[in-house]
Amino acid sequence: MNTTNPLVLLVATIFTHNIALVYILGMCPFIVISKNFKTALGMGAAIIFVVTLTAIINWPIYWLILVPAHAEIVSYLIFIVVIAATVQLLEMLIEKFFPPLQSSFGIFLPLITVNCIVLAVLLFMVLRKYDFVQTVFYSVGTSAGWALAIIIMAAIKEKMMLVSDIPKGLRGAGITMIIAGLLAFAFMGFAGMITLQ
Amino acid sequence: MKALKIIIFVIIMGTVSSALLVGMNSFTEPMISKNEELKLKSAVLDTLEIPYDKLTALNIFKDKVKVLTADKDKFFISNDGTAAFEFYGPGLWGPISGVASINSDLSTIKTIKILHQEETPGLGSRISEHGFLKQFRGKAFMPRLIFMPEGKASANNEVDAITGATGSSKALERLLNGVLQKNAGLLKEQLNK
Amino acid sequence: MSPKKTVKRSFKHAKWFKAFTAGLWQDHPTFCMVLGICSMLAVTNRMNNAIAMGLGVTFCTAFSSLFISIFRNVIPSRVRMLAYMVIIATFVICVDRFLKAYFPPISEELGPYVGLIITNCILMGRAEAYAIKNGPLLSTLDGLGCGIGYTFMLILMALVRETIGFGTLLGYRVMPGSWVNWVVMTIAPGAFFLLGVYLWIFRTIAKKTEA
Repeated sequence: MNTTNPLVLLVATIFTHNIALVYILGMCPFIVISKNFKTALGMGAAIIFVVTLTAIINWPIYWLILVPAHAEIVSYLIFIVVIAATVQLLEMLIEKFFPPLQSSFGIFLPLITVNCIVLAVLLFMVLRKYDFVQTVFYSVGTSAGWALAIIIMAAIKEKMMLVSDIPKGLRGAGITMIIAGLLAFAFMGFAGMITLQ
Repeated sequence: MKALKIIIFVIIMGTVSSALLVGMNSFTEPMISKNEELKLKSAVLDTLEIPYDKLTALNIFKDKVKVLTADKDKFFISNDGTAAFEFYGPGLWGPISGVASINSDLSTIKTIKILHQEETPGLGSRISEHGFLKQFRGKAFMPRLIFMPEGKASANNEVDAITGATGSSKALERLLNGVLQKNAGLLKEQLNK
Repeated sequence: MSPKKTVKRSFKHAKWFKAFTAGLWQDHPTFCMVLGICSMLAVTNRMNNAIAMGLGVTFCTAFSSLFISIFRNVIPSRVRMLAYMVIIATFVICVDRFLKAYFPPISEELGPYVGLIITNCILMGRAEAYAIKNGPLLSTLDGLGCGIGYTFMLILMALVRETIGFGTLLGYRVMPGSWVNWVVMTIAPGAFFLLGVYLWIFRTIAKKTEA
């Protein structure tokens, strides 16, 4: 069993073990959606919500149903079905009850189904044998870390669009990679602050 | 009607793919668990320094290693009283795990082997290299094993840390001290019983 | 749509050839569509990991495209995303198990990244853009082409990262003894920089630029 303090886990996953900049996950939306600060905020919020929710649902499914039944092999299948169903449900709920949220938050939901970090959080949760409380803190921290990274990225790119003269071939994805590299360096500065088990 | 069709489709699809996977599982499961068993047992044989090869590892393990279980901990003891055990703990970037063995005097190290680590490649990851780990042989871990700056180790409980990997060295120092002292204590209790 | 009318019968213009080669250059998954970056950056610091990952992805794209294409008339469009995911996941689990059973060291190095092939956008992308509209043979070729194009890119990344970062290639020493390893190449920032540079070079050559 893993004994890491949940609060340590929360801080570690945001700063020292940032999922976007250290584990390099969730890159597709990271490149495509980071052009605009507001959109990045919406995407970040949607990710935090979905990741936490799916982790909370999948933890009992894995440890209380799949493991006792020795059916770990179908766990990936179950995970993605749960993710897809959760996202679909959220979409319908937002459309029905919170229509104002639709434009700022709802439109990102379908994209999340194929975002690797939702699945990655579940896989790490299983691999590192987190208990329920740890899972909650881990999922909140990880998704908040990802949101932080995409928001910083969007802010930098929005400024760059106005003032910098980037070589043609480097525009778009190319420069995003270079900025991400520099950001990753910056985040490495947090290393050693906290260690993870 | 349409909804029914969709539901039927999803159920059929789920069943077919689950069935396929369960088939795959029954085929690969024995190999996977054998791999895991082999990995642990050959690591234990390595640290106890019992010669073996891949084919005979499991039999040699059965013949020459006594397994002692204390609560949750398992000790692997060879004929000359050397005891090996697994250890886990946090490194700088991720978990570190490995197998360590201590001599029958229960106060000096025989060998240490790192099985898994996620430290910075080329710097912290050197904790798993033979060149670093061989200096642990015969070192005392009572009252405390101390990591000195590279080249400064002299006393019997001092080893050289890795320059440029202070975080990883510190983490390993803390991890080894904790686990060696705790397990030596546990083992003493068990053997006196 | 009617190949009989084409005057030139050279195989270069055959539909199957186009389907296969599109993923290799014209619609290369990484350069043009910037898809599937996650595993590309995370596993390419060693050549053998890159090759294993590439083969795994190629296997999954080819077979998932084949099966999605076979069932394209049966899959209800409301749940097609879910259907893609289930089909893809099935093959990914097969790859995961296969690696665990036959190549445990590689499986350990790749860790959760094998499972994450499921969410590799390339697979979903090909399913939605090609396999759902085309026949099984063409779809398989398309998937295969994309997978090989992706593998090629993984190998390019690993080639630079392993030689410069560790001084080795496939575990064999290739750099002279006096070589000082660039540790930065083996960790995340180096991966980002290298891909950025590659994108720059290839996009300049292919004249495909973004505003």
